[in-house]
Amino acid sequence: MRERSGTPNFREVGRERNYGRQFESTSCSLETLRGSSALYSAGTMLKGMTRLISRAHKAKHGEQQEGQHYNIPHQDLKTVFPHGLPPRFVMQVKTFNEACLMVRKPALELLHYLKNTNFAHPAVRYILYGEKGTGKTLSLCHVVHFCAKQDWLILHVPDAHRWVKNCRDLLQSTYNKQRLDQPLEASTWLKNFRTSNERFLSQIKVQEKYVWNKRESTEKGSPLGDVVEQGITRVRNATDAVGIVLKELRRQSSCGIFHLLVAVDGVNALWGRTTLKREDKSPIAPEELAFIYNLRKMVKNDWNGGAIVLTLSQTGSLFKPRTAYMPQELLGEEGFNALDPFIPILVSNYNPKEFQSCIQYYLENNWLQHEKAHTEGGMKELLFLSNANPGQLERLCAYL
Amino acid sequence: MAAPSVKAVRGWSGLALGVRGVVLRLPGLTQVRWSRYGPEFQDPQTDKEYYRKPTAQLTEEEKYERELRKTRFIKAAPATKTSSVFEDPVVSKFTNMMMKGGNKVLARHLMTQTLETVKRKQFEKYHAASAKEQATIERNPYTIFHQALKNCEPVIGLVSILKSGRFYQVPVPLADRRRRFLAMKWMITECREKKHRRMLMPEKLSHELLQAFHNQGPVVKRKRDMHKMAEANRALAHYRWW
Repeated sequence: MRERSGTPNFREVGRERNYGRQFESTSCSLETLRGSSALYSAGTMLKGMTRLISRAHKAKHGEQQEGQHYNIPHQDLKTVFPHGLPPRFVMQVKTFNEACLMVRKPALELLHYLKNTNFAHPAVRYILYGEKGTGKTLSLCHVVHFCAKQDWLILHVPDAHRWVKNCRDLLQSTYNKQRLDQPLEASTWLKNFRTSNERFLSQIKVQEKYVWNKRESTEKGSPLGDVVEQGITRVRNATDAVGIVLKELRRQSSCGIFHLLVAVDGVNALWGRTTLKREDKSPIAPEELAFIYNLRKMVKNDWNGGAIVLTLSQTGSLFKPRTAYMPQELLGEEGFNALDPFIPILVSNYNPKEFQSCIQYYLENNWLQHEKAHTEGGMKELLFLSNANPGQLERLCAYL
Repeated sequence: MAAPSVKAVRGWSGLALGVRGVVLRLPGLTQVRWSRYGPEFQDPQTDKEYYRKPTAQLTEEEKYERELRKTRFIKAAPATKTSSVFEDPVVSKFTNMMMKGGNKVLARHLMTQTLETVKRKQFEKYHAASAKEQATIERNPYTIFHQALKNCEPVIGLVSILKSGRFYQVPVPLADRRRRFLAMKWMITECREKKHRRMLMPEKLSHELLQAFHNQGPVVKRKRDMHKMAEANRALAHYRWW
């Protein structure tokens, strides 16, 4: 097993970068803009809680809630997460009829930072990294849910790797002849974006006129929803519609009507290689894909009024060894330079308390059906076999 | 199936330590299913509880057995036999039978996915059912697996016996291990051959196991057909000489 030191060594000695906090931890500016408190509204969210052993009260997400599970109501699941949850978690939600996330340290840390963001400063980039199966994607989902509850605008790209591999149709972009469009993926993404951010689409107005073709155009001052509709109905222009949405949001986030959260899972896909080829079998670099090009601009910290939360992922990555998990290894030289001042947050395996909590959760839901799984010996064996890795533990408990 | 071949007599291993010597050869009989270990080799004991028992609690026979094991040779434990608390010999045997070309990784993966699929299907049924029915729904995939295979085991089998130039299907009692083997073989063959090509094995197997658990489905039908044939050929039972 690879030895992990406490402070990961990202660069050689020569470069000096300040990875400390780039913002003050004074009172958050949310209250001035939003009017509501910066915490969850407790009342309607609590389900009829008969099983209380490992459940957290949603109003308080503090240090003492670490290791406990909290419930996401079904309504929220449909609006906040039309895409973005890992597939095994979706299966678990379907089986248990409830979506329960464990409150863990990395997510708590991120929430603390987000609660104290200064929206006048440029957007801070947070990168969740860790070994395979430790819970980076679910921590990202936790943060996305929190921000959705706080009425931020969520720009969630569920898996950036899906855009650089296995794409069926690639069209030459109408906007720029050198770049390529991905109509199918762009239209599905726009549909999910519309589901999660309905209320903002009518409030935000476009600040430029966009001409789609000879007959259709979007006037200046029309709501952003029009651009999204155009992209969904005219699949050929979907990638351009996505580009316009990203540009407008970036421009208008500093005005203060909304807070923007950019959440990208598997951000190392933006700077890796692709497995896509043109008709003449020549390989395509990521920057030649219009979506990737626009997303790279989004992830730069030259705008303010929100935050950028990113996840590295080896699981879907192309041409990266299985043991690579550090930002330097997965992002490469180019990617690391592009993301350079960021706050790294390590997501590690369960500690004993979290492991017990996870097992308790499974036992409460009667998920561990094997007789021996309830015994001391069985739990010790589960700990040994999974090494407290959340992904492995979930797969083990699935068939026991 | 031909009449079961008689196992040849075991060789004498007086000289070499445990390696078989020259086997006694009878004319017309070949030895099948033999092992390189001699009769004095003991099977490996992988049960942790056996070794954890304090010496005070052992009975006389157990103490004698322990002393005996100290003096005897012990066979090497196969790689699949572990001291895990979750180990199940029936599941291991079934996985081995599903394996093709030595690909145990794939066979085990299919087996675990089957158990998971069975569990998820039962959970769905449980959540959809009323409170009274919930007590009757079994959610443990292992009990379902064992019960399903038990329901598929035939009680009596048929054997081809050559008498006066013709082969007759004669009803014959089956040994336990033969019955378990037949149940597993029928289950696997049914899933492999009779289903749609694009359906994945865990899906097919879970469906068949659940049907067999409720005493329905094609495998249980095949068992019943075997019983009916045996009943029909009752008169030929005299052709059996063992």
